[in-house]
Amino acid sequence: MTTEVLRTENLSRSFGGVQAVAGVSLTLHAGAVTALVGPNGAGKTTTFNLITGNLRADSGTAAIRGKPIMGLKPWQVARLGVARSFQDLRLFTHMTVRENVLAATETASWFWQPGGSTARRAREARADAALEATGLSALARARAIDLAYAERKFLSMARILAAEADIWLLDEPASGLDLASRTRFGQLLKDAQARGVAICLIEHNLDVVVELSNRIAFLDQGKVLAEGDPDAILKDPALAAIYFGDRPQEAA
Amino acid sequence: MIAYAANLATIVAIFAILAATLNFIVGYAGIFSVAHAVFFGLGAYAGAQVALLLIPDPLLACLAGAVVAGGLSLCLALPALRVRGEYFVAASMGLQMMAVTLFSEAKPLTGGIGGLVNIPRPTLFGVEVSVLPLALVALALILLATALLQRGAFGRTLQALRDAESAAEALGKNVAAAKTLAMAFACAGAGIGGALFALHLSFVNVESFTMDQSVLVMAMVIIGGTGTLWGPLVGAIILLSLPSGLAFIPFIPPTEVGAVQQIVYGLAMTLLMIFRPAGLVGDLSKGRATA
Ligand SMILES: Nc1ncnc2c1ncn2[C@@H]1O[C@H](COP(=O)(O)OP(=O)(O)OP(=O)(O)O)[C@@H](O)[C@H]1O
Ligand SMILES: [Mg+2]
Repeated sequence: MTTEVLRTENLSRSFGGVQAVAGVSLTLHAGAVTALVGPNGAGKTTTFNLITGNLRADSGTAAIRGKPIMGLKPWQVARLGVARSFQDLRLFTHMTVRENVLAATETASWFWQPGGSTARRAREARADAALEATGLSALARARAIDLAYAERKFLSMARILAAEADIWLLDEPASGLDLASRTRFGQLLKDAQARGVAICLIEHNLDVVVELSNRIAFLDQGKVLAEGDPDAILKDPALAAIYFGDRPQEAA
Repeated sequence: MIAYAANLATIVAIFAILAATLNFIVGYAGIFSVAHAVFFGLGAYAGAQVALLLIPDPLLACLAGAVVAGGLSLCLALPALRVRGEYFVAASMGLQMMAVTLFSEAKPLTGGIGGLVNIPRPTLFGVEVSVLPLALVALALILLATALLQRGAFGRTLQALRDAESAAEALGKNVAAAKTLAMAFACAGAGIGGALFALHLSFVNVESFTMDQSVLVMAMVIIGGTGTLWGPLVGAIILLSLPSGLAFIPFIPPTEVGAVQQIVYGLAMTLLMIFRPAGLVGDLSKGRATA
Protein backbone atom coordinates (compact mmCIF):
# COMPACT_ATOMS: atom_id res chain seq x y z
CA MET A 1 0.00 0.00 0.00
CA THR A 2 2.71 2.46 0.94
CA THR A 3 5.38 3.07 -1.66
CA GLU A 4 8.92 2.27 -0.76
CA VAL A 5 11.17 5.18 -1.72
CA LEU A 6 14.52 4.45 -0.13
CA ARG A 7 16.16 1.17 0.70
CA THR A 8 19.57 0.35 2.11
CA GLU A 9 20.97 -3.14 2.21
CA ASN A 10 23.80 -4.20 4.47
CA LEU A 11 25.42 -0.79 4.62
CA SER A 12 28.71 -1.02 6.46
CA ARG A 13 31.46 1.36 7.35
CA SER A 14 34.31 1.24 9.83
CA PHE A 15 36.73 3.89 11.01
CA GLY A 16 40.03 2.31 11.91
CA GLY A 17 39.05 -0.34 14.42
CA VAL A 18 35.55 1.03 15.04
CA GLN A 19 32.77 -0.69 13.11
CA ALA A 20 30.44 2.35 13.08
CA VAL A 21 27.81 0.83 10.80
CA ALA A 22 27.65 -2.94 10.45
CA GLY A 23 25.18 -4.13 7.85
CA VAL A 24 22.28 -1.71 8.18
CA SER A 25 19.23 -2.51 6.06
CA LEU A 26 16.50 0.11 6.21
CA THR A 27 13.50 1.00 4.12
CA LEU A 28 11.67 4.31 4.08
CA HIS A 29 8.11 4.62 2.80
CA ALA A 30 6.25 7.59 1.40
CA GLY A 31 4.14 9.24 4.06
CA ALA A 32 5.75 7.35 6.92
CA VAL A 33 8.06 8.42 9.72
CA THR A 34 10.76 5.94 10.64
CA ALA A 35 12.54 6.74 13.87
CA LEU A 36 16.17 5.75 14.11
CA VAL A 37 16.93 5.31 17.77
CA GLY A 38 19.89 4.00 19.66
CA PRO A 39 22.50 5.04 22.19
CA ASN A 40 25.28 7.55 21.50
CA GLY A 41 27.75 6.23 19.00
CA ALA A 42 25.30 3.63 17.66
CA GLY A 43 26.00 4.70 14.09
CA LYS A 44 22.87 6.74 13.36
CA THR A 45 24.58 9.80 11.90
CA THR A 46 27.04 7.61 10.03
CA THR A 47 24.12 5.77 8.43
CA PHE A 48 22.81 9.10 7.14
CA ASN A 49 26.25 10.03 5.87
CA LEU A 50 26.49 6.77 3.95
CA ILE A 51 23.10 7.33 2.30
CA THR A 52 23.82 10.96 1.37
CA GLY A 53 27.27 10.26 -0.05
CA ASN A 54 29.10 12.24 2.63
CA LEU A 55 30.89 9.00 3.46
CA ARG A 56 31.75 6.04 1.26
CA ALA A 57 30.40 2.69 2.40
CA ASP A 58 32.84 -0.20 2.79
CA SER A 59 30.09 -2.48 1.53
CA GLY A 60 26.36 -2.58 1.02
CA THR A 61 24.03 -0.68 -1.25
CA ALA A 62 21.39 2.00 -1.16
CA ALA A 63 18.78 2.88 -3.75
CA ILE A 64 16.15 5.56 -4.21
CA ARG A 65 13.05 4.31 -6.01
CA GLY A 66 15.15 1.45 -7.32
CA LYS A 67 17.96 3.67 -8.59
CA PRO A 68 21.30 2.80 -6.96
CA ILE A 69 22.89 5.81 -5.27
CA MET A 70 26.17 4.38 -4.05
CA GLY A 71 29.10 6.44 -5.27
CA LEU A 72 27.00 9.52 -5.98
CA LYS A 73 28.14 12.86 -4.61
CA PRO A 74 26.04 14.49 -1.89
CA TRP A 75 24.61 17.08 -4.28
CA GLN A 76 23.59 14.35 -6.69
CA VAL A 77 21.79 12.46 -3.96
CA ALA A 78 20.10 15.71 -2.92
CA ARG A 79 18.84 16.22 -6.45
CA LEU A 80 17.15 12.83 -6.30
CA GLY A 81 14.91 14.32 -3.64
CA VAL A 82 16.80 13.76 -0.41
CA ALA A 83 17.03 16.60 2.10
CA ARG A 84 18.93 16.16 5.33
CA SER A 85 19.54 18.12 8.47
CA PHE A 86 22.75 18.01 10.44
CA GLN A 87 23.12 17.32 14.12
CA ASP A 88 25.22 20.51 14.33
CA LEU A 89 22.81 22.37 11.97
CA ARG A 90 25.42 23.92 9.62
CA LEU A 91 23.41 27.03 8.90
CA PHE A 92 24.73 29.66 6.51
CA THR A 93 25.68 31.74 9.51
CA HIS A 94 26.45 35.07 7.85
CA MET A 95 23.42 35.08 5.61
CA THR A 96 19.99 36.24 6.66
CA VAL A 97 17.27 33.79 7.61
CA ARG A 98 15.46 34.38 4.32
CA GLU A 99 18.68 34.00 2.31
CA ASN A 100 19.33 30.69 4.05
CA VAL A 101 15.97 29.43 2.89
CA LEU A 102 16.19 30.98 -0.58
CA ALA A 103 19.54 29.25 -1.04
CA ALA A 104 17.76 25.96 -0.43
CA THR A 105 15.51 26.60 -3.42
CA GLU A 106 18.37 27.42 -5.79
CA THR A 107 20.19 24.34 -6.99
CA ALA A 108 21.63 25.35 -10.36
CA SER A 109 25.36 26.10 -10.08
CA TRP A 110 25.36 28.42 -13.09
CA PHE A 111 25.52 32.24 -12.89
CA TRP A 112 21.73 32.33 -12.91
CA GLN A 113 18.89 29.94 -12.17
CA PRO A 114 16.73 28.58 -14.99
CA GLY A 115 13.18 29.73 -15.54
CA GLY A 116 13.56 33.50 -15.38
CA SER A 117 11.50 35.74 -13.14
CA THR A 118 8.47 33.44 -13.02
CA ALA A 119 10.56 30.67 -11.52
CA ARG A 120 12.26 33.18 -9.23
CA ARG A 121 8.96 34.36 -7.82
CA ALA A 122 7.88 30.76 -7.32
CA ARG A 123 11.10 30.07 -5.38
CA GLU A 124 10.59 33.17 -3.26
CA ALA A 125 7.02 32.12 -2.52
CA ARG A 126 8.26 28.68 -1.49
CA ALA A 127 10.89 30.22 0.78
CA ASP A 128 8.37 32.55 2.38
CA ALA A 129 5.93 29.69 2.92
CA ALA A 130 8.71 27.70 4.61
CA LEU A 131 9.45 30.67 6.88
CA GLU A 132 5.76 30.98 7.70
CA ALA A 133 5.43 27.29 8.51
CA THR A 134 8.43 27.37 10.83
CA GLY A 135 7.36 30.61 12.52
CA LEU A 136 10.40 32.52 11.29
CA SER A 137 8.71 35.14 9.10
CA ALA A 138 9.30 37.93 11.59
CA LEU A 139 13.01 37.06 11.68
CA ALA A 140 13.46 36.89 7.90
CA ARG A 141 16.03 39.68 7.87
CA ALA A 142 17.98 38.57 10.94
CA ARG A 143 21.28 36.86 10.37
CA ALA A 144 21.36 33.15 11.16
CA ILE A 145 24.22 33.63 13.60
CA ASP A 146 22.07 35.96 15.71
CA LEU A 147 19.23 33.47 16.21
CA ALA A 148 18.33 31.74 19.45
CA TYR A 149 18.76 27.97 19.75
CA ALA A 150 15.20 26.92 18.89
CA GLU A 151 15.07 29.40 16.01
CA ARG A 152 18.21 27.88 14.57
CA LYS A 153 16.67 24.45 14.67
CA PHE A 154 13.61 25.74 12.87
CA LEU A 155 15.75 27.49 10.28
CA SER A 156 17.40 24.17 9.57
CA MET A 157 13.90 22.73 9.07
CA ALA A 158 12.83 25.68 6.92
CA ARG A 159 15.67 24.96 4.50
CA ILE A 160 14.49 21.38 4.22
CA LEU A 161 10.87 22.42 3.69
CA ALA A 162 11.88 24.86 0.97
CA ALA A 163 14.06 22.28 -0.77
CA GLU A 164 10.91 20.38 -1.75
CA ALA A 165 12.47 16.99 -1.25
CA ASP A 166 10.32 13.93 -0.69
CA ILE A 167 12.81 12.08 1.50
CA TRP A 168 13.85 13.77 4.71
CA LEU A 169 16.74 12.55 6.85
CA LEU A 170 16.55 14.49 10.11
CA ASP A 171 19.40 14.23 12.61
CA GLU A 172 18.06 15.07 16.07
CA PRO A 173 15.95 18.01 14.87
CA ALA A 174 13.87 18.16 18.05
CA SER A 175 16.62 17.81 20.65
CA GLY A 176 16.63 20.59 23.21
CA LEU A 177 13.31 22.07 22.08
CA ASP A 178 10.79 23.24 24.67
CA LEU A 179 7.30 21.77 24.63
CA ALA A 180 5.70 24.49 22.51
CA SER A 181 8.47 24.28 19.90
CA ARG A 182 8.20 20.51 19.92
CA THR A 183 4.51 20.77 19.18
CA ARG A 184 5.21 23.07 16.27
CA PHE A 185 7.89 20.72 15.05
CA GLY A 186 5.51 17.78 15.31
CA GLN A 187 3.01 19.64 13.18
CA LEU A 188 5.67 20.21 10.50
CA LEU A 189 6.35 16.49 10.39
CA LYS A 190 2.67 15.57 10.28
CA ASP A 191 2.04 18.01 7.43
CA ALA A 192 4.97 16.64 5.47
CA GLN A 193 3.84 13.10 6.15
CA ALA A 194 0.38 13.97 4.86
CA ARG A 195 1.99 15.21 1.67
CA GLY A 196 3.68 11.87 1.23
CA VAL A 197 7.21 12.73 2.36
CA ALA A 198 9.23 9.76 3.59
CA ILE A 199 10.91 10.75 6.84
CA CYS A 200 13.73 9.20 8.80
CA LEU A 201 14.02 10.80 12.22
CA ILE A 202 16.95 10.38 14.58
CA GLU A 203 15.63 11.17 18.02
CA HIS A 204 16.66 10.39 21.59
CA ASN A 205 13.46 11.51 23.32
CA LEU A 206 11.22 8.44 23.30
CA ASP A 207 8.07 10.50 23.94
CA VAL A 208 8.71 12.33 20.69
CA VAL A 209 9.41 9.04 18.95
CA VAL A 210 6.16 7.49 20.14
CA GLU A 211 4.16 10.56 19.20
CA LEU A 212 5.57 11.04 15.71
CA SER A 213 6.80 7.80 14.27
CA ASN A 214 5.11 4.90 12.51
CA ARG A 215 8.09 2.61 12.75
CA ILE A 216 11.24 2.33 14.77
CA ALA A 217 14.60 0.98 13.79
CA PHE A 218 16.68 0.34 16.86
CA LEU A 219 20.37 0.66 16.22
CA ASP A 220 23.19 -0.41 18.50
CA GLN A 221 26.89 -0.73 17.70
CA GLY A 222 26.16 -0.32 14.02
CA LYS A 223 23.49 -3.02 13.83
CA VAL A 224 19.72 -2.81 13.58
CA LEU A 225 18.69 -4.91 16.59
CA ALA A 226 14.97 -4.54 16.02
CA GLU A 227 12.66 -2.89 13.58
CA GLY A 228 8.91 -2.46 13.66
CA ASP A 229 5.98 -1.05 15.57
CA PRO A 230 7.01 1.65 18.10
CA ASP A 231 5.04 0.28 21.04
CA ALA A 232 6.37 -3.23 20.66
CA ILE A 233 9.97 -2.09 20.37
CA LEU A 234 9.88 0.34 23.24
CA LYS A 235 8.34 -2.30 25.53
CA ASP A 236 11.17 -4.73 24.86
CA PRO A 237 13.16 -4.83 28.12
CA ALA A 238 16.36 -6.00 26.42
CA LEU A 239 16.39 -2.96 24.12
CA ALA A 240 15.52 -0.65 27.00
CA ALA A 241 18.49 -1.99 28.88
CA ILE A 242 20.79 -1.18 25.98
CA TYR A 243 19.19 2.17 25.38
CA PHE A 244 19.51 3.27 28.98
CA GLY A 245 23.12 2.29 29.12
CA ASP A 246 22.80 -0.97 31.00
CA ARG A 247 24.72 -3.72 29.25
CA PRO A 248 24.59 -6.93 31.28
CA GLN A 249 26.35 -8.94 28.57
CA GLU A 250 29.34 -6.63 28.70
CA ALA A 251 29.41 -6.36 32.45
CA ALA A 252 29.64 -10.11 32.77
CA MET B 1 51.01 66.93 -13.83
CA ILE B 2 47.92 65.99 -15.84
CA ALA B 3 49.82 63.16 -17.47
CA TYR B 4 50.90 62.04 -14.02
CA ALA B 5 47.33 62.09 -12.71
CA ALA B 6 46.02 60.28 -15.79
CA ASN B 7 48.68 57.62 -15.38
CA LEU B 8 47.84 57.15 -11.71
CA ALA B 9 44.11 57.00 -12.50
CA THR B 10 44.70 54.33 -15.15
CA ILE B 11 46.77 52.22 -12.78
CA VAL B 12 44.19 52.67 -10.02
CA ALA B 13 41.38 51.59 -12.38
CA ILE B 14 43.34 48.50 -13.45
CA PHE B 15 44.16 47.51 -9.88
CA ALA B 16 40.58 48.18 -8.84
CA ILE B 17 39.59 45.61 -11.48
CA LEU B 18 42.04 43.15 -9.91
CA ALA B 19 40.83 43.89 -6.40
CA ALA B 20 37.14 43.69 -7.35
CA THR B 21 37.57 40.34 -9.06
CA LEU B 22 39.71 38.93 -6.24
CA ASN B 23 37.11 40.17 -3.77
CA PHE B 24 34.52 38.17 -5.66
CA ILE B 25 36.21 34.90 -4.74
CA VAL B 26 37.67 35.91 -1.38
CA GLY B 27 34.77 37.89 0.03
CA TYR B 28 31.92 35.76 -1.25
CA ALA B 29 33.20 32.26 -1.83
CA GLY B 30 35.89 32.34 0.88
CA ILE B 31 38.53 31.19 -1.63
CA PHE B 32 41.75 32.84 -0.44
CA SER B 33 43.82 32.89 -3.60
CA VAL B 34 47.26 34.46 -3.43
CA ALA B 35 47.79 33.81 -7.13
CA HIS B 36 45.70 36.58 -8.62
CA ALA B 37 48.75 38.20 -10.21
CA VAL B 38 49.25 35.02 -12.26
CA PHE B 39 46.00 35.63 -14.10
CA PHE B 40 46.77 39.33 -14.34
CA GLY B 41 50.02 38.26 -16.03
CA LEU B 42 48.37 35.75 -18.36
CA GLY B 43 45.99 38.47 -19.53
CA ALA B 44 48.84 40.93 -19.97
CA TYR B 45 50.91 38.55 -22.09
CA ALA B 46 47.89 37.51 -24.15
CA GLY B 47 46.82 41.11 -24.73
CA ALA B 48 50.39 42.17 -25.56
CA GLN B 49 50.80 39.34 -28.07
CA VAL B 50 47.54 40.25 -29.79
CA ALA B 51 48.76 43.83 -30.15
CA LEU B 52 52.23 42.77 -31.26
CA LEU B 53 51.31 39.99 -33.68
CA LEU B 54 47.85 40.95 -34.93
CA ILE B 55 46.39 44.40 -34.37
CA PRO B 56 46.56 46.74 -31.38
CA ASP B 57 42.81 46.56 -30.93
CA PRO B 58 42.17 46.98 -27.17
CA LEU B 59 38.84 45.12 -27.29
CA LEU B 60 40.44 42.12 -28.95
CA ALA B 61 43.33 42.31 -26.49
CA CYS B 62 40.90 42.33 -23.56
CA LEU B 63 38.98 39.42 -25.03
CA ALA B 64 42.20 37.43 -25.48
CA GLY B 65 43.26 38.31 -21.94
CA ALA B 66 39.93 37.21 -20.51
CA VAL B 67 39.84 33.96 -22.47
CA VAL B 68 43.43 32.96 -21.72
CA ALA B 69 43.30 33.86 -18.02
CA GLY B 70 39.78 32.52 -17.48
CA GLY B 71 40.47 29.40 -19.50
CA LEU B 72 43.76 28.57 -17.80
CA SER B 73 42.18 29.20 -14.42
CA LEU B 74 40.00 26.17 -15.19
CA CYS B 75 42.82 23.70 -15.67
CA LEU B 76 45.02 25.21 -12.98
CA ALA B 77 42.39 25.83 -10.34
CA LEU B 78 40.42 22.65 -10.79
CA PRO B 79 42.81 20.41 -8.90
CA ALA B 80 43.57 23.15 -6.40
CA LEU B 81 39.89 23.70 -5.54
CA ARG B 82 39.71 20.19 -4.19
CA VAL B 83 41.53 21.42 -1.13
CA ARG B 84 40.06 23.90 1.32
CA GLY B 85 40.92 26.77 3.60
CA GLU B 86 44.57 27.18 4.45
CA TYR B 87 45.48 24.31 2.12
CA PHE B 88 44.12 26.29 -0.78
CA VAL B 89 46.19 29.31 0.27
CA ALA B 90 49.28 27.10 0.17
CA ALA B 91 48.29 25.57 -3.17
CA SER B 92 47.72 28.97 -4.76
CA MET B 93 51.06 30.12 -3.38
CA GLY B 94 52.69 27.20 -5.13
CA LEU B 95 50.92 28.08 -8.35
CA GLN B 96 52.12 31.68 -8.01
CA MET B 97 55.75 30.61 -7.60
CA MET B 98 55.54 28.15 -10.45
CA ALA B 99 53.98 30.75 -12.74
CA VAL B 100 56.74 33.29 -12.10
CA THR B 101 59.31 30.71 -13.16
CA LEU B 102 57.32 29.80 -16.25
CA PHE B 103 56.83 33.46 -17.16
CA SER B 104 60.59 34.00 -16.86
CA GLU B 105 61.45 30.93 -18.95
CA ALA B 106 58.81 30.88 -21.70
CA LYS B 107 60.73 33.39 -23.83
CA PRO B 108 58.74 32.98 -27.07
CA LEU B 109 55.49 33.76 -25.28
CA THR B 110 56.50 36.16 -22.54
CA GLY B 111 59.83 37.54 -23.66
CA GLY B 112 61.42 35.95 -20.57
CA ILE B 113 62.93 38.21 -17.90
CA GLY B 114 63.23 41.09 -20.36
CA GLY B 115 59.52 40.91 -21.11
CA LEU B 116 57.60 42.08 -24.14
CA VAL B 117 58.56 45.54 -25.35
CA ASN B 118 57.34 48.06 -27.91
CA ILE B 119 53.73 47.06 -27.62
CA PRO B 120 51.96 49.38 -30.08
CA ARG B 121 49.60 52.07 -28.79
CA PRO B 122 46.00 50.86 -28.80
CA THR B 123 43.79 52.04 -31.65
CA LEU B 124 40.03 51.72 -31.97
CA PHE B 125 38.63 52.04 -35.50
CA GLY B 126 41.95 53.47 -36.66
CA VAL B 127 42.09 56.15 -33.97
CA GLU B 128 44.70 56.00 -31.22
CA VAL B 129 42.99 55.81 -27.82
CA SER B 130 44.26 56.17 -24.29
CA VAL B 131 43.75 53.28 -21.90
CA LEU B 132 42.17 55.36 -19.12
CA PRO B 133 38.61 55.52 -20.52
CA LEU B 134 38.79 51.85 -21.50
CA ALA B 135 39.92 50.89 -18.02
CA LEU B 136 37.16 52.94 -16.43
CA VAL B 137 34.52 51.33 -18.63
CA ALA B 138 35.92 47.86 -17.91
CA LEU B 139 35.95 48.61 -14.19
CA ALA B 140 32.36 49.87 -14.29
CA LEU B 141 31.20 46.77 -16.18
CA ILE B 142 33.02 44.44 -13.83
CA LEU B 143 31.62 46.18 -10.75
CA LEU B 144 28.15 45.97 -12.27
CA ALA B 145 28.56 42.29 -13.10
CA THR B 146 29.88 41.45 -9.63
CA ALA B 147 27.08 43.44 -8.00
CA LEU B 148 24.45 41.59 -10.01
CA LEU B 149 26.00 38.18 -9.38
CA GLN B 150 26.54 38.86 -5.71
CA ARG B 151 22.98 39.94 -5.11
CA GLY B 152 21.45 37.04 -7.00
CA ALA B 153 21.30 33.30 -6.60
CA PHE B 154 24.95 32.78 -7.58
CA GLY B 155 26.15 35.10 -4.82
CA ARG B 156 23.99 33.23 -2.34
CA THR B 157 25.43 29.93 -3.52
CA LEU B 158 28.98 31.22 -2.99
CA GLN B 159 28.17 32.57 0.46
CA ALA B 160 26.43 29.34 1.36
CA LEU B 161 29.42 27.21 0.44
CA ARG B 162 31.69 29.62 2.29
CA ASP B 163 29.61 29.31 5.49
CA ALA B 164 28.82 25.59 5.36
CA GLU B 165 30.02 23.68 2.33
CA SER B 166 28.49 20.35 3.33
CA ALA B 167 25.09 21.94 3.95
CA ALA B 168 25.21 23.64 0.56
CA GLU B 169 25.95 20.29 -1.05
CA ALA B 170 23.17 18.64 0.92
CA LEU B 171 20.80 21.15 -0.69
CA GLY B 172 21.83 20.01 -4.16
CA LYS B 173 24.47 22.61 -4.92
CA ASN B 174 27.37 21.41 -7.03
CA VAL B 175 29.98 23.13 -4.94
CA ALA B 176 32.96 22.34 -7.18
CA ALA B 177 31.18 23.72 -10.24
CA ALA B 178 30.15 26.92 -8.47
CA LYS B 179 33.69 27.49 -7.17
CA THR B 180 35.20 26.82 -10.58
CA LEU B 181 32.80 29.21 -12.24
CA ALA B 182 33.52 31.92 -9.68
CA MET B 183 37.25 31.38 -10.22
CA ALA B 184 36.91 31.56 -13.98
CA PHE B 185 34.89 34.76 -13.75
CA ALA B 186 37.36 36.40 -11.39
CA CYS B 187 40.40 35.28 -13.37
CA ALA B 188 38.89 36.40 -16.68
CA GLY B 189 38.38 39.82 -15.08
CA ALA B 190 42.00 39.85 -13.93
CA GLY B 191 42.98 38.94 -17.51
CA ILE B 192 41.16 41.99 -18.83
CA GLY B 193 43.02 44.09 -16.29
CA GLY B 194 46.26 42.53 -17.52
CA ALA B 195 45.57 43.28 -21.19
CA LEU B 196 44.81 46.91 -20.36
CA PHE B 197 47.95 47.08 -18.23
CA ALA B 198 50.11 45.85 -21.12
CA LEU B 199 48.59 48.33 -23.55
CA HIS B 200 48.94 51.16 -21.06
CA LEU B 201 52.61 50.61 -20.33
CA SER B 202 53.57 49.39 -23.85
CA PHE B 203 55.84 46.99 -21.99
CA VAL B 204 55.34 44.07 -19.64
CA ASN B 205 57.63 41.75 -17.77
CA VAL B 206 57.40 39.18 -15.02
CA GLU B 207 58.18 41.75 -12.29
CA SER B 208 54.54 42.85 -12.34
CA PHE B 209 53.15 39.37 -11.82
CA THR B 210 54.95 38.18 -8.71
CA MET B 211 53.74 37.11 -5.31
CA ASP B 212 54.28 40.70 -4.09
CA GLN B 213 51.69 41.90 -6.54
CA SER B 214 49.23 39.19 -5.48
CA VAL B 215 49.72 40.18 -1.86
CA LEU B 216 49.24 43.86 -2.73
CA VAL B 217 45.91 43.09 -4.41
CA MET B 218 44.88 40.97 -1.44
CA ALA B 219 45.78 43.90 0.84
CA MET B 220 43.56 46.18 -1.24
CA VAL B 221 40.66 43.79 -0.80
CA ILE B 222 41.18 43.39 2.93
CA ILE B 223 41.80 47.07 3.64
CA GLY B 224 38.82 48.15 1.56
CA GLY B 225 36.57 45.50 3.02
CA THR B 226 36.01 41.95 1.80
CA GLY B 227 32.58 41.12 0.51
CA THR B 228 31.66 44.73 -0.19
CA LEU B 229 31.09 46.30 -3.59
CA TRP B 230 33.11 49.49 -3.13
CA GLY B 231 35.73 48.22 -0.70
CA PRO B 232 38.17 46.97 -3.37
CA LEU B 233 37.96 50.31 -5.19
CA VAL B 234 38.69 52.20 -1.97
CA GLY B 235 41.51 49.80 -1.16
CA ALA B 236 43.09 50.26 -4.61
CA ILE B 237 42.89 54.04 -4.40
CA ILE B 238 44.44 54.14 -0.93
CA LEU B 239 47.27 51.69 -1.53
CA LEU B 240 48.24 53.22 -4.87
CA SER B 241 48.01 56.87 -3.77
CA LEU B 242 50.12 56.15 -0.73
CA PRO B 243 53.48 55.95 -2.54
CA SER B 244 52.81 59.10 -4.53
CA GLY B 245 51.55 60.82 -1.39
CA LEU B 246 54.73 59.90 0.46
CA ALA B 247 56.86 61.16 -2.41
CA PHE B 248 55.45 64.63 -1.82
CA ILE B 249 56.36 64.69 1.87
CA PRO B 250 59.56 66.78 1.87
CA PHE B 251 61.39 65.38 4.90
CA ILE B 252 61.46 61.78 3.64
CA PRO B 253 64.56 61.32 1.52
CA PRO B 254 63.61 59.84 -1.89
CA THR B 255 65.83 56.82 -1.30
CA GLU B 256 63.89 55.96 1.85
CA VAL B 257 60.39 56.27 0.38
CA GLY B 258 60.22 52.53 -0.33
CA ALA B 259 61.05 51.59 3.25
CA VAL B 260 58.68 54.16 4.73
CA GLN B 261 55.96 52.90 2.44
CA GLN B 262 56.40 49.32 3.69
CA ILE B 263 56.17 50.53 7.27
CA VAL B 264 53.05 52.56 6.57
CA TYR B 265 51.39 49.62 4.77
CA GLY B 266 52.18 47.27 7.62
CA LEU B 267 51.05 49.69 10.29
CA ALA B 268 47.84 50.49 8.41
CA MET B 269 46.99 46.79 7.99
CA THR B 270 47.63 46.04 11.65
CA LEU B 271 45.61 48.99 12.95
CA LEU B 272 42.83 48.23 10.52
CA MET B 273 42.51 44.61 11.58
CA ILE B 274 42.28 45.77 15.18
CA PHE B 275 39.82 48.62 14.74
CA ARG B 276 37.95 47.81 11.54
CA PRO B 277 38.34 44.07 10.95
CA ALA B 278 35.75 44.13 8.16
CA GLY B 279 37.73 46.75 6.22
CA LEU B 280 37.06 50.43 5.63
CA VAL B 281 33.81 49.88 3.74
CA GLY B 282 32.72 46.73 5.57
CA ASP B 283 30.20 46.98 8.37
CA LEU B 284 31.74 46.74 11.80
CA SER B 285 29.40 44.22 13.41
CA LYS B 286 29.96 41.85 10.51
CA GLY B 287 33.72 42.01 10.92
CA ARG B 288 33.53 41.30 14.61
CA ALA B 289 31.19 38.38 14.14
CA THR B 290 33.43 36.89 11.47
CA ALA B 291 36.59 37.36 13.49
N1 LIG C 1 34.38 10.64 10.57
C1 LIG C 1 34.61 9.75 11.55
N2 LIG C 1 35.86 9.36 11.81
C2 LIG C 1 36.10 8.45 12.80
N3 LIG C 1 35.15 7.90 13.56
C3 LIG C 1 33.88 8.25 13.34
C4 LIG C 1 33.54 9.20 12.32
N4 LIG C 1 32.19 9.38 12.33
C5 LIG C 1 31.73 8.56 13.29
N5 LIG C 1 32.72 7.90 13.90
C6 LIG C 1 32.55 6.89 14.97
O1 LIG C 1 31.56 5.99 14.56
C7 LIG C 1 30.71 5.65 15.64
C8 LIG C 1 29.27 6.02 15.29
O2 LIG C 1 29.14 7.43 15.26
P1 LIG C 1 27.80 8.17 14.88
O3 LIG C 1 28.11 9.61 14.83
O4 LIG C 1 27.23 7.57 13.68
O5 LIG C 1 26.89 7.84 16.14
P2 LIG C 1 25.43 8.37 16.47
O6 LIG C 1 24.58 7.17 16.59
O7 LIG C 1 25.02 9.42 15.52
O8 LIG C 1 25.66 8.97 17.92
P3 LIG C 1 25.04 10.28 18.61
O9 LIG C 1 23.74 9.88 19.20
O10 LIG C 1 26.05 10.59 19.69
O11 LIG C 1 24.96 11.34 17.59
C9 LIG C 1 31.24 6.37 16.85
O12 LIG C 1 32.08 5.50 17.54
C10 LIG C 1 32.04 7.50 16.26
O13 LIG C 1 33.09 7.87 17.11
MG1 LIG D 1 24.68 11.40 15.62
